[in-house]
Amino acid sequence: MASITYKNASCIYEGSDKLAVDSLNLDIKDGEFIVLVGPSGSGKSTALRMLAGLEDIDEGAIEIGGKDMTGVPSKDRDIAMVFQNYALYPNKTVAENMGFALKLRGVPADERRRKVEEAAKILDLTEYLDRKPAKLSGGQRQRVAMGRAIVREPQVFCMDEPLSNLDAKLRVQTRTQIAALQRRLGTTTVYVTHDQVEAMTMGDRVAVLKFGKLQQFASPSELYDRPANAFVAGFIGSPAMNLITVPVTADGVQVGSSPMKLEREQRGLIGDLKEVTVGVRPESLELTTDPDGIEVTVDLVEDLGSEAYVYTHASGGVELVARSNPRTAPKLGDTVRLSRNADAVVHLFHPVSGERLG
Amino acid sequence: MTLTADTEDVVAERVRKIREAKDIGVSRAEGWRRRGPLLPALIFMLVVTQIPFLFTLYYSTLSWNLVRPGSRHFVGLNNYLAVVKDSQFWSVALNTVVLIVGVVIISAALGLLLALLLDRAFPGRGVVRTLLITPFLVTPVAAALIWKTTILDPTNGILNWVLSLMGIGPVDWIGQFPLTMVMVELIWQWTPFMMLLILAGLQSMPRDILEAGRVDGAGAFQLFRELTLPHLRRFIELGVVLGAIYLVNTFDAIYMMTQGGPGIASANLPFYIYQRAFLGFDMGQAAAMGVVVVIFTIAIASFALRLIFKSFTGKEEAA
Amino acid sequence: MTATLESGVAAKKKPRKFSPWGVVAWIAAIGFFFPVFWMVLTAFKQEGDAATSPPKLFFTPTLDQFGAVFDQGIGPSMLNSLFATGMSTLLVLLLGVPAAFALSLRPVRKTQDALFFFMSTKMLPIVAAILPLYVIVSNIGLLDNIWALVILYTAMNLPIAVWMMRSFFLEVPGELLEAASLDGASLWRSVREVILPLVSPGIAATALICVIFAWNEFFFAVNLTAVNAQTMPVYLVGFIAGEGQYWAVLSAAATMSALPVILCGWFAQNKLVRGLSFGAIK
Repeated sequence: MASITYKNASCIYEGSDKLAVDSLNLDIKDGEFIVLVGPSGSGKSTALRMLAGLEDIDEGAIEIGGKDMTGVPSKDRDIAMVFQNYALYPNKTVAENMGFALKLRGVPADERRRKVEEAAKILDLTEYLDRKPAKLSGGQRQRVAMGRAIVREPQVFCMDEPLSNLDAKLRVQTRTQIAALQRRLGTTTVYVTHDQVEAMTMGDRVAVLKFGKLQQFASPSELYDRPANAFVAGFIGSPAMNLITVPVTADGVQVGSSPMKLEREQRGLIGDLKEVTVGVRPESLELTTDPDGIEVTVDLVEDLGSEAYVYTHASGGVELVARSNPRTAPKLGDTVRLSRNADAVVHLFHPVSGERLG
Repeated sequence: MTLTADTEDVVAERVRKIREAKDIGVSRAEGWRRRGPLLPALIFMLVVTQIPFLFTLYYSTLSWNLVRPGSRHFVGLNNYLAVVKDSQFWSVALNTVVLIVGVVIISAALGLLLALLLDRAFPGRGVVRTLLITPFLVTPVAAALIWKTTILDPTNGILNWVLSLMGIGPVDWIGQFPLTMVMVELIWQWTPFMMLLILAGLQSMPRDILEAGRVDGAGAFQLFRELTLPHLRRFIELGVVLGAIYLVNTFDAIYMMTQGGPGIASANLPFYIYQRAFLGFDMGQAAAMGVVVVIFTIAIASFALRLIFKSFTGKEEAA
Repeated sequence: MTATLESGVAAKKKPRKFSPWGVVAWIAAIGFFFPVFWMVLTAFKQEGDAATSPPKLFFTPTLDQFGAVFDQGIGPSMLNSLFATGMSTLLVLLLGVPAAFALSLRPVRKTQDALFFFMSTKMLPIVAAILPLYVIVSNIGLLDNIWALVILYTAMNLPIAVWMMRSFFLEVPGELLEAASLDGASLWRSVREVILPLVSPGIAATALICVIFAWNEFFFAVNLTAVNAQTMPVYLVGFIAGEGQYWAVLSAAATMSALPVILCGWFAQNKLVRGLSFGAIK
C-alpha cells in the first residue's frame, strides 16, 4: 500500500542549466489516481521518471510508502511503468513479456502462467499470448504494456502518455478501460498526459505543471471552478476559457466599446489595479439582444452539430468565444451582443502575475 | 498551490550546486562499472599497437643493418634526413597518394552507380547482388594472382584476347602500366564495399521526400542531385574514409602483381618500407620511413576522423 | 495494380515494365564476377587448356589440379588459417562486445576519447609496426607460431568490430533497458535477456567481417610465419614460386584459398550487408 510524497523535488535537464522539475511538492494518498498534466516542456514526464527512478532526484526527496527513495535503483522500487512507446521486449512473446518481472523474482513457472493468463483475460489478450510484439496492432501492444504492469501487482503504477500513439476513437475507449481497471485494482497511479480531457476525466486529483513548476494540485472540478492562476484557467476546459486583459472602470471593466458590470465584492477584489485579466468560459457566454451586452463582431462559427462556438472580437482587438445553439448561430461579419448567462462565473486574475484574485 | 518564482540568479545557483554534487556523486564504483567492460579491449589495443610503435620510434634513431651485426648505433635524426633526401621515397609516396585517391574515387563512383542500379527491383536482383559482392570476398593475393595471369597476361590473358578481336595489338599491361593495373585490381576489389555502403544509404532514405519532390515538379536528375545525393553524402564519406584507411596499407596486390616494379614504378610506401627492412635489412631507415608515413597519416586521419564523428555519432536526422 | 470489373473478377495485373536498368545491372554483375568465374573454371582444366589464346570456355574438366594441390600439402595451411581466423574472431568478440556495450551507454566525454583512440589505431600504417613486431615476436619466441597471428589479427579487427557493434547496440531503444530495470532486472540480466538477443544479428555480421579480413590477411602472415604457421595466402604464394606458369594448378590453389570465405560471404550475405552498412538499414 503506497502513498507517494514529492518533497521539494527537483531535477535538471541533462547537459543544460535549466531545471526540468522545480521544487515539486505533491502529497498523493494511497490508491489515488493522480494525473500530471501540462504542455510539452512542463517537466511532467521528468517528474514521473524521477518517481520511477529513471531520472536522478537532484534536489529534495521522493517518498513511497513513507520510505525515502533517494539512491534506491528502479528495480528495487516495486513500480510498474507503461511507456509511451510501450517498450515491449521484441524477442519475447506476449506471455513472456508479461511474465518477465515475475520470472526475475523467481516465481515458479506455473504460477507465472496463471497470473499472466488472469491479466490477459482482463485485458482481452488471451488469444495473443504466444505472439511476438511485431505481430500486434498498436492497440494490442498498448494492452500488453498494461498487462505487463498489472501482472506485477506493484505498489505504484506509472503511466507516461500511454494513449498518445492510439487513434482518437481507440483513445476514448481505452481511457475508460484504464480508469475502470485502476478503480478495480486500487493501486496508486501516477499518469502523465498533455491532454487535459484525459486529465479531467481520469484523475482523482490533477497536478498542472508549467516549466517544471507546480501550478495547482486539486480535483478536476476544483480546477474547473477555481483555477489558481490564469495559466490553469486557460489550460483546463475545452474550448479554452476566454482570458482578456482589460481596463478597469468604476464598477467593473471595459470590454471593447462596452462596459461590463461586476458585483461589488468582485470589483473590490481588483482594488487599485488599472487593468485586470478577466476569465469567462465560452459556455458561460450567450448571444443576447440585451443592449447591456458586450458588442462584438463575428469572425468564425464552428458548428459541431450539438453546439456551435462563435469566435468574435470586440473593438480594440479583444477576442471572445461564446457557445451558441447551432440553429441560431450568427453569420460571419455579423455584429452581435454577448452576455453572461445565469450561472456564469467570472474569474479575476492579476494582469501581470496571473494569480487568482480572490 | 502556487510558488513564488525564484529569481534567475537563485535558480542558477541551485543548478550549480546540483551540478557539483552530481559530478562527485557519480561514485567511483559506478564509474568503474560503466567503463570496466571497456578496459580489456583498450588495454589489449594499447599494448599491441602502441608498444611496437614506440619501438619503431626508437629504431628510427639507430643506424642498424641486420646483415652487419654489432653495427647498431645511435645516429639521432640522420635517418630522417636520409629519408627527406631520398628521392625514391618521395616518388613512392606520390605513388601511394595516387593509388589511394584514384582507387577510392573511382570505386566510390562505380559503387554509386551500382547501388543506384540495385536500388530498383528487377528480376534476379538477389543474384546480381551476390555476384557483385564477390570481389570483396576474394583473398587479395588470390585475386591479384588471377588478374596477373589469366586476365592481364600479354600472350594468353583474356583482356588481350578480347582486344585482339577488335584489332588492338597485344599490350603488356603489367609491364607498361604497372601502377594503373594495380589500381584496376584494387578498384575491382573495393567497389562492392562502396556499393553496399551507398546502397544502405539509398535504402535508408525516406521515400516521401522524393514523392514530395516529384509532385513539386522535379525531374529524375534533379531529384537525385538535390535530395538523394545530400542524403548519401555521409555514406559516401564513410566509404571514402574507411576505404582510404585500408588502402593505405595495400601490400598484397603489389607484392603479387608487380613486386613494386619495374624499379619502384608501382611501389607504394608499405611495399617500399618492406623492401628496405626485409630485403635490404636496413632497419633504421625503414623505421624512419615508417614514422614519416605515420605522421602524414595522422594529419590526414584526424581530419577524417572528425568527419566520421560529425556524421555518425549524431542520431539520424528526423525525416 | 488490380481493377475489379463489375462482374467481380479481378483484372490481370499490369505487366511489369521491361526495365533496361535491370539488364545493365546484370551486365555489370557478370562483368564483376567474371574473374572469379574464370578462376574457378580454370581450376578444372588440364594445363594445356589453361593458358591458351584464344581462351577456352569448353573443355574436358578434370579434378587433377585439385589433387595436385592436395598433394603439395594444403592441409596444414588450411588448418592454420582456420585456427587463426576462428581464434582471433572469438577473441575480438570476447573483448569487443563488452567494450562496444560500454561505449554505447550514456556517453561520457571519456567514451568519445576511447572511441577515437580505437579508430586511430586502425589508421596507423601497419608497416610502421612490422619491424619491431618482427623483433619482439622473434624475441618472445613466437616467430612461426600461429598464436602471433591470432594476437595480431585480433588487434587488427578489434577497432572496426567495436565500432560496428557499438552502432548495433545504439539501435536498441533506451526504453527497453528502462523497462527491464523497472521489471527488476540487474544490468547484467537486462543485457543477457533483452539486449543480446536483439543485437545478435549485428554481432554475427561483425564476426563475419572479422573472418573475412583475418582469413585473407597476407602481410603479417608472410613476414612472421615460415613453415609451421603458414596460412592459406602464404601457402598460395609459396605455391606460385614452385609452379610458375602452370595456370590451372595455380587457379586450383587460388580457388581453394578463396573459396571458404566466398561461400561464407554468400550464405551470410544479409548479415554482411547489415554489418557493412553499420546498421543503417533497418
